Amino acid sequence: MPELQNVTLIRGQRTIFEALSLRLDAQRIGLIGDNGAGKSSLFRLLCGLDLPSQGSVRVAGVAAHALSRERPGLIGMMFQNPDEQIIFPTVEDELALSLTRGARVRKDALQAARQFLHARGLGDWCPRAVSSLSQGQRQHVCWLALLIAKPQLMLLDEPFASLDLPGQYALDAEVAKLDQQVMLSTHQLEHVRRFERVLWLEQGRVRADGPGSEVCAAYAADVAQRQSQSVAANAAPPVAAGDRD
Amino acid sequence: MGSLYSEHRSWLHACPAGLKLGVLALLGAVLYAVHGVPILGLAALACCLLFASLGPATRPVRRLLRALLLACVLLLGLHAALGQWQAGVLSVLRLLALTLLSLALTVSTPPSDLLAVLESALQPLQALGVRSERLALQLALMLRFTEHFFVLWRRLDDAHRLRTGRAGGLRLLAPLTLRMLDAARRVADTLELRLGD
Amino acid sequence: MKPSQTLAQVSLFAALMAVFGLIPKIDLPLGVPITLQTLGVMLAGCLLGPRRALHAILLFLCGVALGLPLLSGGRGGPAVFLAPSAGYLLGWPLGAWVTGAVMARLPAASPRTAALSAVIASALGGLLCIHACGVLGLMGIAGLTARQALLGTLVFVPGDLLKCVLCALVVHTVARGLPDWRLGGRSTP
Repeated sequence: MPELQNVTLIRGQRTIFEALSLRLDAQRIGLIGDNGAGKSSLFRLLCGLDLPSQGSVRVAGVAAHALSRERPGLIGMMFQNPDEQIIFPTVEDELALSLTRGARVRKDALQAARQFLHARGLGDWCPRAVSSLSQGQRQHVCWLALLIAKPQLMLLDEPFASLDLPGQYALDAEVAKLDQQVMLSTHQLEHVRRFERVLWLEQGRVRADGPGSEVCAAYAADVAQRQSQSVAANAAPPVAAGDRD
Repeated sequence: MGSLYSEHRSWLHACPAGLKLGVLALLGAVLYAVHGVPILGLAALACCLLFASLGPATRPVRRLLRALLLACVLLLGLHAALGQWQAGVLSVLRLLALTLLSLALTVSTPPSDLLAVLESALQPLQALGVRSERLALQLALMLRFTEHFFVLWRRLDDAHRLRTGRAGGLRLLAPLTLRMLDAARRVADTLELRLGD
Repeated sequence: MKPSQTLAQVSLFAALMAVFGLIPKIDLPLGVPITLQTLGVMLAGCLLGPRRALHAILLFLCGVALGLPLLSGGRGGPAVFLAPSAGYLLGWPLGAWVTGAVMARLPAASPRTAALSAVIASALGGLLCIHACGVLGLMGIAGLTARQALLGTLVFVPGDLLKCVLCALVVHTVARGLPDWRLGGRSTP
């Protein structure tokens, strides 16, 4: 169960987070908010990719940044663009990479990857070149590569962004089936409305934290309000000083 | 990322990677040691036939054939300019033969099989401190990045053509480098997460 | 620098060498073919610094030695290390190291100074060093005299000078686009 205590993150000149404390205990947590609110940064802190300037980020009692070999078993993350995270040219190699940590021999990993694919009815995907797969299929490969490592916590950074509608529903169903804890950031609110806990991040602060249906509704309303305000501001013609009557 | 490996199975796909690589290395050495035009001519012809026999499996590398022909012409031209016709013909025949063989290997061998051969070949070097398991990963990553370079180059070129009506050529090298450095950073993140260190 | 970063960057520049080997040769107006792989050596040196550039080129040569057809013209396999041009090949890792070592010590405060430093670094490492090794190779393997080898190598110098300029242009773009990038692998950008 990940926990942030008094975390401050400064990147260059920008302060991303300031004295942020969170206990992320729910099984399903959604993360919503405008671009630049800090969603990806939060995930990077949780993975240990970034080190907080102050405070601590702990996963299962260990500092996230100090994790090394045990990290893939504890925490896994899926990035937005499958092309930037697929390392190997074939599906089975890509999945085998998730298993080649520590001293595990590559051949064993490859064998396990093949068994994993067969068990899911995707045996014919084993030797296939990733480049021959469609965008949605590639994202599925990323998903499988994440699953096969069996992390206790899964972070999904805008996973629905490049999926078509059937793909989105399929991913929803997959997420619902999982035993492990899942944190998911998205702009498509319907996917997290049913989550037991959703965090609304705004400029590095938690603006709302509660059941999915409430927080999503509050955020949507806020966005609509800001939108209508900006439309009104743009629509009003500029008034010159002497023109008022 | 685009791959040069073809999924159309040809007769060569069934051959083990180590065998193919070994034969290629051996033939390479032999062709460089031989100096007769007739022998090299026969060898080049045999390689052409072998390559052609792979049929649809050669599709991923067909565009490289044009480059090969161009290289042959330029090579011949260079030797002709130096007054060495014979040496030019020999060079071209060797180039043809070895390149076609190598391409045949590339399309018919899944990169993972090649890698397995490399790893076993490198294992003796572990005693000298070379980490063969990491080296294998680096080589695989190098191949992946190579494919990705071409895909990205193609995309940048398309964008350039749309906006200027001309091919991008070397003008794209700088933006391409930036993009690839960026991609490397993200791949590094992924590696760190998935390998643990 | 994190090991994963090093791994990714080393592999990236090895791939750049492969890309330069796989694209067709470019022709100078006089019909002299330019292969771009020495440009890859220069870029690796200027952008990665001596140690990582050396690793990148070694990684690439490893791939070539093990049979991958990554040298320009689709050549590969151990046989290429026996050809007359093998001296140049072996000069690449050294050239990358020298380019990186020089780049790390020259100023790179602004994109323009970085570009100028890159020209100097690539000329010393990518041009001088590689040609020196190439000449030694020509003398040793092809049996040419020093004079013949030097004349032979001079043909390619104009092309390589152009590559130094190209390298500098790329370094300039990187310095502008990624201001935090540590040119020459120096400890502060």
